[in-house]
Amino acid sequence: MFAQQLLNGLFLGAVYALFAVGYTLVFGVLDILNLAHAAIFTAAAFAAFSLVAAGVPLPAAFLLAAIFAGLLGILLDRVAFAPLRKRNAGTLVPLISSIGVAIIIGAVLRAVYGVDERHFTLGGLDTAPAIHLGPITFTTVELTIFLAAIALMVVLSWILRSTTLGRRIRAVADDRIAAALLGVDLEKTIAATFFIASSLGGAAGVLTGLEYNSVTLDMGGPIELKGLAVIILGGMGSITGAVIGGFILGAVETFAVAYGLSPWRDALVFGVMFVLLVARPTGLFGKRALRQA
Amino acid sequence: MNRFTASAVALLAMAALVAPAGAASKGPAAGKAVHVGVIADVTGGAGVYGTPQKNAYELANDDIKSGKLDAGGANLTFDVQDAATDGAQVVNLMQKFTTDGSTAIVIGPTLSGEAFKAFPLAARANFPAMGTSTTAEGVTAIGPTIYRDALAESQVIPTTVARTHAKWKYKTAAIIYGDDNAFTKTDYDVFKRELEKAGVQVVDTETFHIKDTDFQAALTRIDSKKPDVIAIGGLFPEATKIIAQAGKLGIKAHMMGGNGLNSPEMYAVAGPAAQGVVVGAAWALAGKYPSNERFVKSYTAKYGKAPDQFAAQSYAAAEIVAYLVAHGAVTKDEMLSGLRGVRVIQTVLGPLGFDANRDVKSSPVILEIVKNGFAYFH
Repeated sequence: MFAQQLLNGLFLGAVYALFAVGYTLVFGVLDILNLAHAAIFTAAAFAAFSLVAAGVPLPAAFLLAAIFAGLLGILLDRVAFAPLRKRNAGTLVPLISSIGVAIIIGAVLRAVYGVDERHFTLGGLDTAPAIHLGPITFTTVELTIFLAAIALMVVLSWILRSTTLGRRIRAVADDRIAAALLGVDLEKTIAATFFIASSLGGAAGVLTGLEYNSVTLDMGGPIELKGLAVIILGGMGSITGAVIGGFILGAVETFAVAYGLSPWRDALVFGVMFVLLVARPTGLFGKRALRQA
Repeated sequence: MNRFTASAVALLAMAALVAPAGAASKGPAAGKAVHVGVIADVTGGAGVYGTPQKNAYELANDDIKSGKLDAGGANLTFDVQDAATDGAQVVNLMQKFTTDGSTAIVIGPTLSGEAFKAFPLAARANFPAMGTSTTAEGVTAIGPTIYRDALAESQVIPTTVARTHAKWKYKTAAIIYGDDNAFTKTDYDVFKRELEKAGVQVVDTETFHIKDTDFQAALTRIDSKKPDVIAIGGLFPEATKIIAQAGKLGIKAHMMGGNGLNSPEMYAVAGPAAQGVVVGAAWALAGKYPSNERFVKSYTAKYGKAPDQFAAQSYAAAEIVAYLVAHGAVTKDEMLSGLRGVRVIQTVLGPLGFDANRDVKSSPVILEIVKNGFAYFH
């Protein structure tokens, strides 16, 4: 049972981590909390659903939905954040405008898709027999989701460490004005950050939709709060912290239930988080870790 | 007269004999306008349940106009107002309907929690109101004008346990239920009571929250206790995922649940793992009652998908009101005395009446999920 529960926790944690990575990236670069991240997560899941329903093969639909989410992220920045940035509006006002965008995205999705839960037609993938390896059982869908989440996080870390764009993003995160003085195009770099962060959030949305074969208007609700907890736990702005925080959350949730504490699951998750934060108020990987990434 | 028209005429004659409700009659209320207020959560969190309810009343409006639903020639209309899953709006709408002077009866709201806020208003105003989906215990006890046409879980689950126990002869069971919802909590209470009454040992109990999507940790734990049967206290979105994930984990125990699992899309969503899951419910899509067959056909044609139990119980409420109107009820007081005099009304749920507590008297149906639908569980 332990091995199976560990696997359950890993699968759950991978998607939490992927969602949180994009969430924390925007915070690391702009010092703002983007509360529309969960709405983009949901929008991408619906986009993938529509593409698959229209006959687009799943891998292509996944990619297109992630790109769509990235573009939505750029639009979000243009509408909700850029005008406020120009006016030096601080960090609280963008928080509110991101909530506004989240509500608008939700209303548009409801108008287009209605209230019903939607399901992917996975062309037999969803009915493929589960794989049994000794004490553990998983499906091809779960394995694919897990590998895709890990691969995306590896790609992100490579972009941030080893590419010109990554160096620019880190420079802007470190000191926006100094970066601009040195010739970094601020707005382009911020747009790129939003594209990357939102496409990762969108990818997490599509993967969540696939994992439970369910796309709903309110699917972003639970993960929004959990994602916030994860990035605070990991250390605001820390990519490594978001990844590790995601896996910790998945593991704590799973083992709370595994040891017969299902009615206390959420209380336990936030209790553990509270204790960790009292011990390390800046989170596991401190603030501003992105700059040294 | 050729053979085709001859048989058509014969069929029509037969239809007129067996189903006198087939054509609009001229009753004592003929020509009068009767206005029914409907409160449904068409949008918001409970939109999934309120939307099929709204659809059912719109279909009823069509059917009254075309004479398929007999209201004795009265101009009966169901006025559906969206409460948007907002308790305050529910109360406002109840206030509006009970005081506007033209409404004869209120149907709805959608959720039990909303009913506990809104029905006291109707009870105080001595105003008839009927719930079609508010199955929590105590809803009809709010007052002597509150009726309900939905079989409560406490009426459905005992039969479900008795019938499955007789066939499967299980000794141990696990229960998994949502602990943050009145409906699913009732599932747990009744399952536990009935299983213990049947001498079944409950070896594990797991809880979840509404909107949870991952149940693998709880199911892995249940599986480690090796129960013969798993009872699910959940609504459709959670139940389908529990069943699919149990199948994925290779869990072989039988599974059963209540009204929350009675959706025509159960198999399509939960997949092959749903095959053989037993569902105790108030209504069957394949029910052979004449008005049910017509209802299922015209609902599917109008909305492009089969009705669910929420739609069926709403349509049944429309049939009850139409019956009362056809027998002369026009005002709220006539509606109330009509309800008090009801013996048996034929509806899509089958023949039904009301007991002394104003709760519906009808028989539950015990179904088994089969490929792409339901079969009766024998």
